[in-house]
Amino acid sequence: MKTLIIFIFFFLSLSTISFSQTKISGKVLDEKKKGLPGVNVLIKGSYDGSTSKEDGSFEFETEVEGPQVLVFQLMGFKSIEIAIHCEGNAIQIPDQILVEAITEMNAVTISAGAMEASDEKKSVILRPIDIVTTPSAMGDIVGAFQTLPGTSTVGNDGRLFVRGGDASEVGIYIDGMRVGNAYGSTAGNVPTRTRFNPNLFKGTFFSTGGYSAEYGQALSSALALNTKDLSIRSQGDLSIMSVGGGYAHTLSSEKQSLTFSANYFDLKPYQSLVKQNFDWERAPNGWDIELSAQKKLAKGGLWKILARKESGGMEIWQPEPGQEGRGQLIRLKNKYSFAQSNWKNAFENGWILFAGAALSSNFDDIHIDSIRLERKNQLAHGKFTATKDFSDRLSMNTGLEYFNHQFDESLVDLNFSRDYVDHQFYLFTEWDYYLNKNLVFRAGLRAGKSSLNKEQWLDPRASLAYKISETSQVSFAAGSFSQMPVENLRVLNQALNNTESNNLILNYLLQRDGIIFRAEGFYKGYENLVVFEGYPQKPQNPTNLGKGYALGVDIFFRDRKSIKNTDYWVTYSFVDSKRQFDQYKSEVQPSFAPKHNFSLVAKHFILDFKSQLGISFSMNDGYPYHNPNDGEEMSSKTESFQSLSFSWSYLPKPNLIIHFGVNNVLGRENVFGYRFAQQANSQGVFESIPSGLVAPRFLFLGIFLTLSKDKNANQLNNL
Amino acid sequence: MKKLILTFALSFLWISLSVASDPAFEKAMKKQIIAMDQIANAEQSKEVANGFLRIAEAKSEEWLPLYYAGLIHIEAAFRFEVNKDQYLDQALKYIEQAEKLAPANSEVTALKGYAIMGKISLDPASRGQNLSPQAMQLFGKAINLDRENPRALYLMAQMEYGMAQFFGSGTDKACGMVRLSLELFEKEESIITEDYILPKWGKRSAQQMMNNCN
Repeated sequence: MKTLIIFIFFFLSLSTISFSQTKISGKVLDEKKKGLPGVNVLIKGSYDGSTSKEDGSFEFETEVEGPQVLVFQLMGFKSIEIAIHCEGNAIQIPDQILVEAITEMNAVTISAGAMEASDEKKSVILRPIDIVTTPSAMGDIVGAFQTLPGTSTVGNDGRLFVRGGDASEVGIYIDGMRVGNAYGSTAGNVPTRTRFNPNLFKGTFFSTGGYSAEYGQALSSALALNTKDLSIRSQGDLSIMSVGGGYAHTLSSEKQSLTFSANYFDLKPYQSLVKQNFDWERAPNGWDIELSAQKKLAKGGLWKILARKESGGMEIWQPEPGQEGRGQLIRLKNKYSFAQSNWKNAFENGWILFAGAALSSNFDDIHIDSIRLERKNQLAHGKFTATKDFSDRLSMNTGLEYFNHQFDESLVDLNFSRDYVDHQFYLFTEWDYYLNKNLVFRAGLRAGKSSLNKEQWLDPRASLAYKISETSQVSFAAGSFSQMPVENLRVLNQALNNTESNNLILNYLLQRDGIIFRAEGFYKGYENLVVFEGYPQKPQNPTNLGKGYALGVDIFFRDRKSIKNTDYWVTYSFVDSKRQFDQYKSEVQPSFAPKHNFSLVAKHFILDFKSQLGISFSMNDGYPYHNPNDGEEMSSKTESFQSLSFSWSYLPKPNLIIHFGVNNVLGRENVFGYRFAQQANSQGVFESIPSGLVAPRFLFLGIFLTLSKDKNANQLNNL
Repeated sequence: MKKLILTFALSFLWISLSVASDPAFEKAMKKQIIAMDQIANAEQSKEVANGFLRIAEAKSEEWLPLYYAGLIHIEAAFRFEVNKDQYLDQALKYIEQAEKLAPANSEVTALKGYAIMGKISLDPASRGQNLSPQAMQLFGKAINLDRENPRALYLMAQMEYGMAQFFGSGTDKACGMVRLSLELFEKEESIITEDYILPKWGKRSAQQMMNNCN
């Protein structure tokens, strides 16, 4: 019984302890010693506390006693904790200074050379949806990027040309893994497209120079595409287009999702209706199947798979300058596979690990009249990276890469073949240091080694960015970039070394609600470019003796605000480039580097008609070409290129989109260059044929329908 | 005998502790909930959110104070001139912390959808495509977790209403849902006592939406 009494007394005594009140007051300041309002001041482990007022002062009373911890918290600032002792007397806390935390939201980011398409981040030039809604792009990823600064449109090629560089100088990556033969194989001046559907990607990072040490083997540009994470809903997507059709099916659950798609296209029916400039024997046609899967793993990991197989072909008559008749018959068959798998995990301790493997395999079977050429190109890529934020100021990204590159070409009937295999190893590391939230430095180093030519190299890169005000910043980047020569030259001379470029970039970026202005100046020096004897179709004795430069300015302005329901962007790029490369004996302006490039894209939403109208206009001052009737190399220039495109997207129901587009509405006869006869005719003149557009216009009509069992899907869908 | 009494006393103490979980916690919560209804500007919103965060800090196993801190940030983003994206991101942070403490909770799931709805409203043209299905999925999940949760249904109705207006496809479905949510709000009100600290907001907004339906 005694125990019970003691017990009860103990509890009674506890509840009857008279609490003494301690008054705590003080002031919170920011780094500039100005009062900081809204700070949560609290005593750890109790409910007592207060919020600082407009002048940063705070005051509250507490009943807790003894040694306590006083905590100061404010969104976007680093919390601080101080020890206090409460004993009933008023406590005056000395002034506390809260330091702003450097976060993704408030810190300056390096924008030199970089353009990002993302929904999540702030400094984006383009949104993912812009890629599908840019009229001139016709749903091609690269087509949309051709309206951005630093690029030039080369209408008879279709690939991406950046700042005086040729198309091979752009490295294309999916989830950090290099994609070999990312563009469809083509022949005879028929422009190509990217093989991958823009719907696969949630974001894109496009660099026109000075890019991260994580990427290499690209002299001018890196285009990094990031695939979507888990799909949310199970659904089917049906597309019926004027050039073919397809179906995609997605299965999804909380932890994993899987999409399978199959497409078929054939331009034959379309070409029989619409007048063509080219002499087709068989219109381009092909099919593809694709599988993508995402799986959430325990402990926060994400595992992704993307696999694609496609096959296609075309047959075209290419007239020969100075000759009668239909000319050469070129027949092309292509088989392509791409597969990659990657795993990424952000661990609790701040480390982010990534591991990936990718394989691209391309096979071209080309008949030029009676000559049969087979080309195999295979690229395997393995990559491991480790990323860590050591503090909010210092972060690191380090990685290891291996490439296996196999190339093989043969003249089947002549029983002649040649090939090479190259093993490449890379090590890269890149460090970011924030001096404060307005100033960041980045230094990176990329080391490479090739087994084929026994070359070892080191590419240092550095950049910095400084925030001038809340809305504007400048960045500067410098760096070295190396790239092995293209396959068909490398196979001729396996000792060829890396071609090299050195970049200097100065960038100014202004961003205000809905308005972006970006201006960038650059200088790019080229070394060790490959020159050869003969002509591009039949190069001989390639060597690394070429060189050159490109310099220029580009300007970009985007406004999503001033005109209601309208979004437009304007781009002007000036490039002055001369280089000695390929068959040229002197430094010349390349055919793919027009000096003045302009483009305008505008999109207007009409709510009443549930429609989005888009126009885009591109022009340049003409493409240089070499006229053998003229003594000097590359001294002629085509007429100005101009193309106006129009598109109309109509959404009658949430799950139905009807899209109509026309390229080159005005039917302007653009010429991209001329092909000249190898020999002069009897009058001593080299005859020529212009390289122009496949057809005066390209028309596209597509119907996209989404089907889902989910009862919400009829209300909302991926527009 | 002594032992028996002691055991009895101890077990009684234990029972009383587990039933009336923590009066200090409930008292502190109630104080903030009352203050929450009086919020008239961004500063007050900050003060009340801070109050909830202090409770969350002291009672790190409770999801409710984090829930309210998230709710206040979302409402502030809708009502006041603040950095809306930052407020909504912060709200999502609190909601994700609450999710860890109370996984598969209908209220927390619905609130997350509400925050995402706020993100969409700031830039519907570019965010809608990606985020709308996410918000809808969360509302659907919240309804499945608790069919009696009026807020999950009301928020879903809001979303449906916006979509129906955009596509001119008739607001019948959305209006049916909000009517149903109002019934659930009525039902909820019948169990609300003075000590009720669980989420009970949303009826007024649902009624406003209902007025547009008629």
